[in-house]
Amino acid sequence: MTDKQVVVLGGGPAGLTAAYELAKFNLRPVVLEQNPFVGGLASTQTYKGFSFDMGGHRFFTKVDEVQKIWHEVLRDDFLLRPRLSRIYYNGRFFHYPLKPLNALRGLGFWKSLVVAGSYLWWQILPYREEVTFEHWVTNRFGQRLFRTFFKAYTEKVWGISCSELKAEWAAQRIKDLSLKTVLVNMFVKPRNTVKSLIEEFHYPRLGPGMMWTAVKDEVERRQGTVRLNAEVVRIVRTDRRIEGVVVRGPEGEDHISGTDFISSMPVTDLVKRLDPPPPPAVMTAAGELKYRDFLTVVLIVDRPQIFQDNWIYVHDPEVKVGRIQNFKNWSPDMVPDPSKTALGLEYFCTEGDDLWTMADADLIALGRREVDRLGLAAAADVQDGCVVRVPKAYPVYDSDYRDHLDVVRQFVDGLENCQTIGRNGLHRYNNQDHAMMTGILAVRNVVLGEKNDLWNVNADQEYHEEVRDEILAAVVAPTLAKVDRVALGLSLGLTCGALLWLATLALVLKGGAVVGPNLGLLAQFFPGYTVTLTGSFLGLGYGFLSGFLAGWTVALLRNVVVFAFMAAMYRRAERQALRRLLHYF
Amino acid sequence: MANDTEPLGKEALEDIVLTRALHLDAVVQGVATGLVVGLAVFVATNWLVLKGGSVVGPHLGLLSQFFPGYRVTFLGSLIGFGYSFAGGYAVGYCVARLYNAFASRRDRGRHRGITHPSHERR
Repeated sequence: MTDKQVVVLGGGPAGLTAAYELAKFNLRPVVLEQNPFVGGLASTQTYKGFSFDMGGHRFFTKVDEVQKIWHEVLRDDFLLRPRLSRIYYNGRFFHYPLKPLNALRGLGFWKSLVVAGSYLWWQILPYREEVTFEHWVTNRFGQRLFRTFFKAYTEKVWGISCSELKAEWAAQRIKDLSLKTVLVNMFVKPRNTVKSLIEEFHYPRLGPGMMWTAVKDEVERRQGTVRLNAEVVRIVRTDRRIEGVVVRGPEGEDHISGTDFISSMPVTDLVKRLDPPPPPAVMTAAGELKYRDFLTVVLIVDRPQIFQDNWIYVHDPEVKVGRIQNFKNWSPDMVPDPSKTALGLEYFCTEGDDLWTMADADLIALGRREVDRLGLAAAADVQDGCVVRVPKAYPVYDSDYRDHLDVVRQFVDGLENCQTIGRNGLHRYNNQDHAMMTGILAVRNVVLGEKNDLWNVNADQEYHEEVRDEILAAVVAPTLAKVDRVALGLSLGLTCGALLWLATLALVLKGGAVVGPNLGLLAQFFPGYTVTLTGSFLGLGYGFLSGFLAGWTVALLRNVVVFAFMAAMYRRAERQALRRLLHYF
Repeated sequence: MANDTEPLGKEALEDIVLTRALHLDAVVQGVATGLVVGLAVFVATNWLVLKGGSVVGPHLGLLSQFFPGYRVTFLGSLIGFGYSFAGGYAVGYCVARLYNAFASRRDRGRHRGITHPSHERR
């Protein structure tokens, strides 16, 4: 075990967690981080004593291993904070998912009526073909609601019009909406999920960077190495093995060799830096994987309180800002002066576009104008500001990404001593806890020889829930199978026919002055039927016919009801999947 | 190869719901039908007993033609429950067995020679 020299590429949550776990196994990992700070996408930056988080990272998980690490690393500096995040639109705050009374108050009676009417209209007369994202959402929520709560924000996030965004994108997002999800939705209501996860979360006293700085210190205390400003410029391989990496730092380039490599750097960069390069098809596929970036304009406002939320989604189309963080509400210690507030205005952009390349002073001026326009703070109250750009913040799930990723993945999986982890290492929407989990599992693969599939660490659902869901679905699914109408008709028909035949025969055999006067009343419905031997056969036919009709109809009605119920459940699950996606941003 | 295994499980579930017919447990169906019919006769008999009158339940009493010993009395209601449960059980059991047999036969007919995409080797 001790002869292993593991090199970790990337000092974000996944990479540092891997290093932390390796150090616990008494190995001495070497972490290479190209930035002058650790934490990657979950780093904390500072400006004149104000700390700010790049994107807002709630610390919540149901993964025990991750929870344990967080608590053992930060102990008392790991605060429990209340959570509030709402949509800010037209000067009003809206809860998401929308709550009827809150929406009614925010939109006003007449506008709410129009929204409800529009919803009904589009339920009755939907777009026949769902070509664009606009069609897709409109068919589910109505056009008014789409324009109010989806259009502007989605366009800010993706940078293109909703009428250009393909419906496949939305469909792709709910591709994993399996019957299992639907069944679970039927029986496990969302409000039953652990309340604390919705209303509160943990957060390091000085932002997420505090966690990763503490992990770095712990790795170093255990004889590991964390090199900052160390950019991996070349990854040397011989066929299917990585031999070492060439690192460029302030003092020039040097070569670091190792027995195993764990990489959290963007998988596209990993592939491009391999020497010799992989086959052209892999290079092309890697080049097709895209990212969305964002930048934060931090404004220091001379006001003690602006809004209660940790962050707000800005849906107003008149401004470019997509989300606003209020760092003081994440942790009071993020702001050194209680009479001031630090806001983080997040602009989604793409590296190299107009926003990305805009001068910092212009971006701060833009931010100042927009908070004023939104009515959140007067421009004159904004005293200072700074800008932080975050490249490759979100892997883009376009309609082709899965195919391209499969090609890249197949190649990377073929490298014997290299594993990719983390959000960008796997090109997957992993939250911090799942990114950490990939680091933990990668270390187990290296040290314990386990065969954990890192690509399959679930981004949306928790592992324990997964097991429960599997069991629930496996038990419930067969009961929702359709009833065979003809089979039920035949079986009920035969049974009814036989019963009537036997009942008639029994009375005929019993005999008497008047044979079966009461059963004979069936003749009112079955013309020609009598309580005689011949009548018994006629009764067999009538019984079969009426039983068949009854069985067939019952089966049809039961199938219709189950279908309608399941369709409604699919709709509900679709909306939840979309909501999760919006919350992700 | 996770992508190959994950959807397979999902499709297997959806296969069941979308392409296969529901199958009934004959004993459960028998017990359920037996209980419903038995309780119906029991309640109906006692309802008439409690209602009283000069002639109690002349029409329901005709059941004695098929259920020897049955009368519209409290004791009769217990006897009626027994008979009806047995009859209901037999009917429910038969319907379920017949239904399963027909449904399986029709299922086999529908799927003969068809390989669902999810069952193809990848």
